[in-house]
Amino acid sequence: MDDLLADFVAETREMLEASEGEIIAWEANPADGSRLDAVFRFVHTVKGNCGFFDFPRLADLSHAAEDALADVRSGRREPDAALVSAVLAVSDRIVELVDASEDGGACPQGDDADLISALKEGPQDGPVTGDPVDISASEDSAAPCDDAEPAQTPSAAPSIQAQRTIRLPVDLLDRVMSGVSDMVLARNDLAHRLRQAGTQPTIDGPFERLTSILSDVRDAITRMRMQRIETLFGALPRLVRDLSAELGKQVLVDLEGGDVELDREMIEMVRDPLTHIIRNAIDHGIEPPHERLAYGKRENAFLSISARQSGNTISIVVSDDGRGIDEQKIAAKALSTGLITQAERASMDREKILQLIFEPGFSTAEEVSTVSGRGVGLDVVRKNLEKVGGSIKVSSTTGVGTLFTLQIPLTLSIIAGLTVEVGPQRFSIPQSYVEEIIHASASALDFTQMGETALVTFRGQRVPCLALCDVLGLSDDPENEANRSMVMLRLASGDLFALAVDNIHSHGDIVVKPLAPAVMKSGLYAGSTLLDDGQPVLLLDVTNIASAYNLMSDARARVLADALKQESQAEQSVDRAMLFTDFEGRRRAVRLELVQRIETAPAQAIDRSTSSPRVVIDGLILPLIGLPEGPMPAAKIRLLRLTDAVGQLLYAVKEVDDAVALTGELKPVEDDPLVEAVTLVNGQTVSLIDGHAIFARYGETPKPVSRPQCRLPEGDWARTILAPLVTAAGYEIVPGASQDGEADEADEALTIWFEDEFEAAKALEWEFTGPVIRLRDQPDAATGSETIYRYDREGLLSALREARGARGTPHPETGEAA
Amino acid sequence: MNDLLVMAQIAGRRCALQAGDVKSVIELGAITPVPRSPIFIAGITALRSQALTVIDCRIALGFREIAWATDHRAAVVAVGGYSYALIVDAIEDIATGQSTPDKVPGGFGSEWSRVATGMVETAIGPALLIDLPALIAGPETIGAAA
Repeated sequence: MDDLLADFVAETREMLEASEGEIIAWEANPADGSRLDAVFRFVHTVKGNCGFFDFPRLADLSHAAEDALADVRSGRREPDAALVSAVLAVSDRIVELVDASEDGGACPQGDDADLISALKEGPQDGPVTGDPVDISASEDSAAPCDDAEPAQTPSAAPSIQAQRTIRLPVDLLDRVMSGVSDMVLARNDLAHRLRQAGTQPTIDGPFERLTSILSDVRDAITRMRMQRIETLFGALPRLVRDLSAELGKQVLVDLEGGDVELDREMIEMVRDPLTHIIRNAIDHGIEPPHERLAYGKRENAFLSISARQSGNTISIVVSDDGRGIDEQKIAAKALSTGLITQAERASMDREKILQLIFEPGFSTAEEVSTVSGRGVGLDVVRKNLEKVGGSIKVSSTTGVGTLFTLQIPLTLSIIAGLTVEVGPQRFSIPQSYVEEIIHASASALDFTQMGETALVTFRGQRVPCLALCDVLGLSDDPENEANRSMVMLRLASGDLFALAVDNIHSHGDIVVKPLAPAVMKSGLYAGSTLLDDGQPVLLLDVTNIASAYNLMSDARARVLADALKQESQAEQSVDRAMLFTDFEGRRRAVRLELVQRIETAPAQAIDRSTSSPRVVIDGLILPLIGLPEGPMPAAKIRLLRLTDAVGQLLYAVKEVDDAVALTGELKPVEDDPLVEAVTLVNGQTVSLIDGHAIFARYGETPKPVSRPQCRLPEGDWARTILAPLVTAAGYEIVPGASQDGEADEADEALTIWFEDEFEAAKALEWEFTGPVIRLRDQPDAATGSETIYRYDREGLLSALREARGARGTPHPETGEAA
Repeated sequence: MNDLLVMAQIAGRRCALQAGDVKSVIELGAITPVPRSPIFIAGITALRSQALTVIDCRIALGFREIAWATDHRAAVVAVGGYSYALIVDAIEDIATGQSTPDKVPGGFGSEWSRVATGMVETAIGPALLIDLPALIAGPETIGAAA
């Protein structure tokens, strides 16, 4: 309520400022009717808003002024100086009252009969109230609660209390926001350079502080764009009241969740759809009172509008307890307009039929009323919501009520995005469309070419497949064709299609920036964004691309697809497993719930120095099973990342085949403890991995790891020849041997020395806290020497591996220091 | 007519841009190409957190052959609320316009007439004053093909 009041006060002041000038101009030229409109709107709005609050004085004042002005507008009354003075006096009084109510929250007592009569008597008595002083004098005597000094202008009105809110142009907010984005980029750049320069405690401290301040500011700015949905809800009671009065219905409205915040642009986006649905509900859904009584319902219908936030979306639910939607009527209408066929009608259940009301050209109202059914249908509502990435659905029970659910994203400008790579270029895809990512060979996906259209098989369903390089007209690298990654995209209409890309890069929040019109014209892009390294990437407009390739289904296909989806959902209840071939050529399967992701790791990232091989993925050390004995079978190894919600485990596989349903009988296996059962898939036996057993034996909670550090000797040779080898072995190069020999944070670091330098350092009695590798220039070593010839690749690599093993458990607290 | 003008060479001719329209002159960094956009759009590039649309002025004028070398610097202009970076042959100087833009008998030729407001006299000689929105709209034929 306080916020509503604050809004009311702010709005009143703002309108008053605008209307005051108009009043004066109107006084100078009373015949100019256009001036009157602003003044009229002001008193009218005040009058309207008073309805929410218990402000009888304000209501009376504004009502009287509105009456007088309405007379002037309709020509029943000639404006004169007296009327202008009276109207000015009224607006002053309104400001005083508004100020007072802002302080106390309640309207002060008093009498405004003098002003009201001044408005009325004006035309009869002419000059009686001609002198404004008269009015202020009478105002004084009649309004004891007001200040002794009459306020002639709003600026003189008492405003001792500090403003709690200010209004700012959105432009300014946007500028601040982009300034902060710039700062974040500058910070990232600086961070990059600082990392290159090495640890510098005097700079790192303040830099850390800058970073945390910046992230605070960024949060605050983001919140500045947010607005409570209350601002949208505020106008609804009035809308409902007016509509129900007009239609002779009695409706109680209940608003819930007004404190949910969303992007102010989004609020504007939802305003029209929401109004439309409410109009619909009152016009079509809610019965007239006598009908309600006849059905044994309460005379007052109940309309509830509630907003809830869940994650990145807001759902707004509008429900009424009216007559509900008659599915027969909808179906009949859809049949008559050719939206569906009789056969389809027979196969559709009630839920499906109800969704037809969102199809273009659908309106059940037999006659067009003044309230709804003005040609703007629910299809437009849905289209507008889908444009911003939202959705709408309806459910209804005949005779009991109807429930509309609107889902809208929190904000338009920051979205989760997936970055994909095609050739040398990167593009972003809004995460909300991404259903699943599949790394698989063309054969596993049953890639087929039907005419010009490519199809893949996904969960037993043939899905159209677009190659992003074709969509963008980029040259296609045939080598990549066999090993593409598929991004399965689910459109708002429910259609699924696959987008083939060369690589999946990363995902994260992206700030969407608009693109120039000439670029937008291509219809492929929704905006641009900057990656962390400052490189701009284009955001793909998935919906537009899909419709350009006719992948968006029309209503009929939509219905059929829904039916299919339901079938596949029924299938979902069956256990599913990921089929793969291991390195011994055996066909195996693991339950799909265990598979978190499919990873690909380069062979050198796998550490086999100990009895249990390990691999570092995403900065975590994870145990690895399934590798064959002997040398690495390939340069890149596919890994199934399995998880039991706590522990993680990687399973190296030769080839990932497909996800299959475990429909066959599971025959338990006794002899292999790691196999749960054997079953038949497509006529072949497959052994199913026992999830419990492998996690019991190998699973462990992943430990975060920082890359071990290594200092190199000075010189070009070390920098250009040695460094890549060391990096490839999984080390991070830290600059310069610590010349002062101090045991700083990086004392865990491995140091590589040339033998002569090492001897010199030893002579200076330096302490060697970390492991050391000594290099010699000559291939032949003196016996007993611990040095390694500098081109002895194998020797170096094994020394590097050994040093890494000796480093023991990683220290996360020092991990990111450099 | 004492406006400040940014003098630049475009497709081998001396042109002038209103200095008020030119926000800055930047060193062009990496340009991300935009597939399936009109060919006069060289791509997008980042200026701080902003993405600039990079326009190749030579192609935007309608010249097909790329016979002129371009500068590594680009002029950043704002048109219709969007920022563009213009690739030109060279950015020369700032000069004061000494006359109102004027037509010359016989016109400037079909490519130039579309984007030229007129000829202005400056201290370093006459130059064609460029109409930025017309330049950025690009040649009709090429734009329509995209």
